[in-house]
Amino acid sequence: MTGNTSNNINRRRLLQAGAVIGGAQLAAPYLQIARASDVVKIGMDNPLTGTYAALGKNEQIGAQYAVEQINAKGGILGRKVELLIEDSTSGDAGVAVQKARKLIDRDQVNFILGNINSSLAQAIANVANEKGVFNVDPGGHTDSITGTNCHWNTFRVCNTTATEGAAVANVLVKNMGKKFYYLVPDYSFGHTLAAGVEKAAAKAGGVKVGEALTPLGTTDFSSYLIKAQAANPDVIIVLQQGDDGVNVLKQIVQFGLEKRFHIAGAQMELEVLLGLPPEARIGTWVFEWYYKQPNVPHVNEFVAAIRKRSGGHVPTARTYFGHTAVWTCALAAEQAKSLDAVKMAKAMQGYKLPPEISLMPDGAFYRAAQNQMIGDLYVGHAQAQGKDGPEDLFAVDHVVNGKDVSPTLAETECHMTWPKA
Amino acid sequence: MSGFDLRKQVPNVVVWLLLLTMPLWMNAVGGYTQLGTQVVVMGLAAMSLNFLLGYTGVLSFGHAAYFGLGAYGVGMTIRYLVPSTGIGMLVGTGVGALAAAIIGPMIVRLRGVYFAMVTIAFAQVFYFVAFRWNHVTGGDDGLTNWTREPINFGFATLHIEQDPVTFYYFVLAIFAVAVAVMALLLQSPFGRTLIAIRENERRTRFLGINVNFHIWASWLISCTFMALSGTLYALLNNFVDPRALYWTQSGVFVIMCVLGGMRSFWGPLVGAAIYVVLQDYLSSATPNWMSFIGLVFVVAVLFFPRGVLGIFRRKSVE
Repeated sequence: MTGNTSNNINRRRLLQAGAVIGGAQLAAPYLQIARASDVVKIGMDNPLTGTYAALGKNEQIGAQYAVEQINAKGGILGRKVELLIEDSTSGDAGVAVQKARKLIDRDQVNFILGNINSSLAQAIANVANEKGVFNVDPGGHTDSITGTNCHWNTFRVCNTTATEGAAVANVLVKNMGKKFYYLVPDYSFGHTLAAGVEKAAAKAGGVKVGEALTPLGTTDFSSYLIKAQAANPDVIIVLQQGDDGVNVLKQIVQFGLEKRFHIAGAQMELEVLLGLPPEARIGTWVFEWYYKQPNVPHVNEFVAAIRKRSGGHVPTARTYFGHTAVWTCALAAEQAKSLDAVKMAKAMQGYKLPPEISLMPDGAFYRAAQNQMIGDLYVGHAQAQGKDGPEDLFAVDHVVNGKDVSPTLAETECHMTWPKA
Repeated sequence: MSGFDLRKQVPNVVVWLLLLTMPLWMNAVGGYTQLGTQVVVMGLAAMSLNFLLGYTGVLSFGHAAYFGLGAYGVGMTIRYLVPSTGIGMLVGTGVGALAAAIIGPMIVRLRGVYFAMVTIAFAQVFYFVAFRWNHVTGGDDGLTNWTREPINFGFATLHIEQDPVTFYYFVLAIFAVAVAVMALLLQSPFGRTLIAIRENERRTRFLGINVNFHIWASWLISCTFMALSGTLYALLNNFVDPRALYWTQSGVFVIMCVLGGMRSFWGPLVGAAIYVVLQDYLSSATPNWMSFIGLVFVVAVLFFPRGVLGIFRRKSVE
């Protein structure tokens, strides 16, 4: 760059100017006009990237459909509903907390929903509690959210791990044998899930003959499978999720273990079964909702409406959670005739959801003093190919009423402190 | 320090004016006070790293460890020991400084990529402790169920627990003190020695200066302020999780320094502001926000190799 005087425009300067102008373009939409205050805002702080992106997408579709339905009926207390969506990432609790604060502090949301990841759900619930905002956890399962760390303002749609464990353990002991071997993912969610199943199995008469702790991200499960085989159980309980779950099931099939032992686990998602090769779609699982319920009113309409909005795909339990979570907000406001979080939370104690929302044979309600939704659980087996299209990968064998398998209120150890009015 | 040059003070005046008036204009441009607080906290962290990276010429890829130690220090003190923000911050900063003081002598003889690798290794030790020690640190779920407490000065009480603007000025005051101390240190003969090490380590050694001791001291100062910013970060969110200690977080601090300009005092603050605001905005706009941040970084490295503030410097040289 020798010989350049300062008022010459050279290539580098031009590029720099271009980059600055480009950056300014990027910044411009940030200057947003404050939204009208006559809108009711629901903030959704849920994964759109990472391991849980597919599940997050389905919860979002369900939530968006619910918002459409509510707006078509005149909104919440006569005000239009708006859904604000933030990506919480799949595992970064710091980001989830930051996003929750952004939704509450900047966007002034009336309701906050989230999260699929249990850790993130608990973190968001704590922020919501600090700020006194009505919070619905659509799909984070860890017990503490409506247990030891429950809050007056946090309502949960999906089941607790303890309930899921109990639902499947009873069926397994009755039909498949008493000796259980556990393959446990080695982190907090895995440990609580295993503890839940073990406790429920012990109650039903099951015996633990061994367990293997597998680190998160394990790709080769052969050493654990050899150990499991040597313990000679009746049932191998598989508790791995996500990619780990896919790998362990594939390798179980490669080892031929599914022919010699029963394979079972607690929670299973349709999204996960869709991701498995057909031969690895094995085992007995709990689904928290399934789209094939021909005798339950309103389910078929719900399935048809979602198919229209998701490019022909059926709703999964996740779609159902998102839908129910948004409706919970609307129903709470309607019951309380107010958007005051305390009044809404009080109005939802013991509230029974209308059948077009619960979409379950025995209905669903929010248990008072715990804020946990209790509905039906669907125990059944995975199938390689369904007779009802490529997404019919689960066959429901038993519908278990959540009331019969949920831990009692005392067992949950939930003690709420309500704010003074 | 040859007399008072008004023109040299222009950047300082601009930065402080912007920082002091932030709560007044932040909402008008679509931000929110907490975002500003986050910029200041991350800015302090990046400036602390730059004390070592920019002024001593030593690249650490493990500074998140001390950030996280500060964060866990304040969180665990408030949760388990005493509900006091002040004591928590002292403990957090102290723990970070202590860890740095002990680890320092083991690594000061290493240079370049070896130094960076070993700092990562030590940082990962702390990460795994936080990740695995479930019943104390909360493990992957993070440390929750504690909140920042009002600060009692004896004659008055500062209520930082609810009002975001009060908390912002509290953070800004600590930022000001920390930055002033760093600036004074850099102006001192000690700071000049650090720059000499950066420019030519062998020559500095020939002058009879104990290079390893100076690098250790610079490392300790850098990590101590890092831990201080970690305590502020934890107080901002009322939350800590192991990712605050993870090596990718260390990488983010390095990116902030490079983005803003490692050779200028305020560069890392500018880098932190760009990174934090961009992340906040883009991650709401698109799920692919990480690609865009990567793109911005690539553009910055290609066209502003001395960081965004490097442009002004080149201009003044011309």
